[in-house]
Amino acid sequence: MKFKFIGIFLTGMLLLTACRAATETPTTSESPTETESIPTPIPEAGECLACHTDKQQLIDTAAPVEEAESESSGVG
Amino acid sequence: MAPLEPWEKVLVDNEAFSETDHGKLTCIQCHGGTNVADKEQAHTDMVLDPSSQPDVYCAECHEEQTSAYADSLHNTQAGYWTEINTRNGNVPEDHPALEEMFGNHCATCHTTCGECHVSQPANVGGGFFDGHVFEMNPPMTRSCTACHGSRVGNEFLGKNEGIPGDVHFREARMNCVKCHTGVDLHGMTEETASATHRLSGAEDPKCTDCHEDVANGADGIQMHAQHGDGAEISCQVCHSVTYTSCDSCHVEVSEKSGNPIFETQATYTTFLIGRNPLQSDDRPYKYVPVRHVPVTPNSYEFYGDDLMTNFDALPTWVYSTPHNIQLDTPQNSSCEACHGNPEIFLTADKVREEELIANETVIVKTVPGNVDMFLNAMLQPSDHSELVTNSCVSCHLEGIRNSPVMPESHIDFENDSCTGCHKLP
Repeated sequence: MKFKFIGIFLTGMLLLTACRAATETPTTSESPTETESIPTPIPEAGECLACHTDKQQLIDTAAPVEEAESESSGVG
Repeated sequence: MAPLEPWEKVLVDNEAFSETDHGKLTCIQCHGGTNVADKEQAHTDMVLDPSSQPDVYCAECHEEQTSAYADSLHNTQAGYWTEINTRNGNVPEDHPALEEMFGNHCATCHTTCGECHVSQPANVGGGFFDGHVFEMNPPMTRSCTACHGSRVGNEFLGKNEGIPGDVHFREARMNCVKCHTGVDLHGMTEETASATHRLSGAEDPKCTDCHEDVANGADGIQMHAQHGDGAEISCQVCHSVTYTSCDSCHVEVSEKSGNPIFETQATYTTFLIGRNPLQSDDRPYKYVPVRHVPVTPNSYEFYGDDLMTNFDALPTWVYSTPHNIQLDTPQNSSCEACHGNPEIFLTADKVREEELIANETVIVKTVPGNVDMFLNAMLQPSDHSELVTNSCVSCHLEGIRNSPVMPESHIDFENDSCTGCHKLP
């Protein structure tokens, strides 16, 4: 009975030690170095969409189309 | 195809587009320019078609496609150069003139990623398919047949008067990419990678990829069995119908406008069977339909003299795969509709005198005779299957080793056509 108690006591101590070791493991060499992330600037495009989603504005600002008479003949 | 209105070409459907992966990028990330309201200033340094630089704008996500596409026919247009250089005879001094001609008249067929996946091709006026939403499969009539329209498109869609559209379109509602898949079009297969011509290498696509029973003789159709289960004549010989041919195209730069122009003198429909000028293990057919292409010895004379000194090196009646396939056709209605019917074969009398030499490899000298002659022809001895040569005349012309001497009536037959009648048992 005495030996059984000592066995359980030692096993318990071993487990506690293991757990403690795990929590204390981090060393200075493994600690992450803080780096400042530099976000890539995403160019705004609000004006592009404002025009290109507005049918009337596209009609108003479209360059005049010159209908060129085809000088080719026959099937291409 | 009617061109789009100018506003219609560039109207973005942002509600739909913003839901797509490409819509997560801002306009300027791909197109450059400046985020200001003034149109001129906004468009300064704008990249109209970013996909004209696929390595820069597309490869980050689509590397597999862009790297293969660089060598594909839609990008390189190598098929044109194969024919141009062959007819020219590869004369180095002629290259500047030919390159100028090519740049003016042929290079417009070059296709960028965007011209298949987001907008109509530039040479039909451009314009978004669907508010700048990218399409994985190019829309058939606004992309594929926008370029491949006057022959393939009209045939496939049934636009030639009195000629039905292709059964794959009419009945099965198949579009181009059902057969011509993305890996083919991007040049990602063994057959299409770095191709020098659309007919180089193995057929891809091939009818028997789907119609397997024809190739293995399991469909029980006697006409297929009699014609080598699809190996002796191309499928289109029996299953295509009248298609377009053209004559005499000339290209030049207009004195009036300075624009490149062309003149094709005649366009007409024919159905003619010729000998296969590209016969190989990949394309073993003895006969294929042939289409007249409008090249003439002086098609490019605006750009220089004698630019086709080797004109006779290639036929003007070319191996063709008409895209108007039908189950029932006039020529497959009976044996006699084809056998002994010179009307549907490219015989010398149908070829212009000045093109006779060029078409020597395709002209049918002896029209396949009455079908009884085929069916009653003596079979080859079974041990002929072990012969290493297919030159029948080497023995049968003079009766070497007591072999039967071929009749005098056979003298005009082509050497390689003996097995068409005299089959192995």
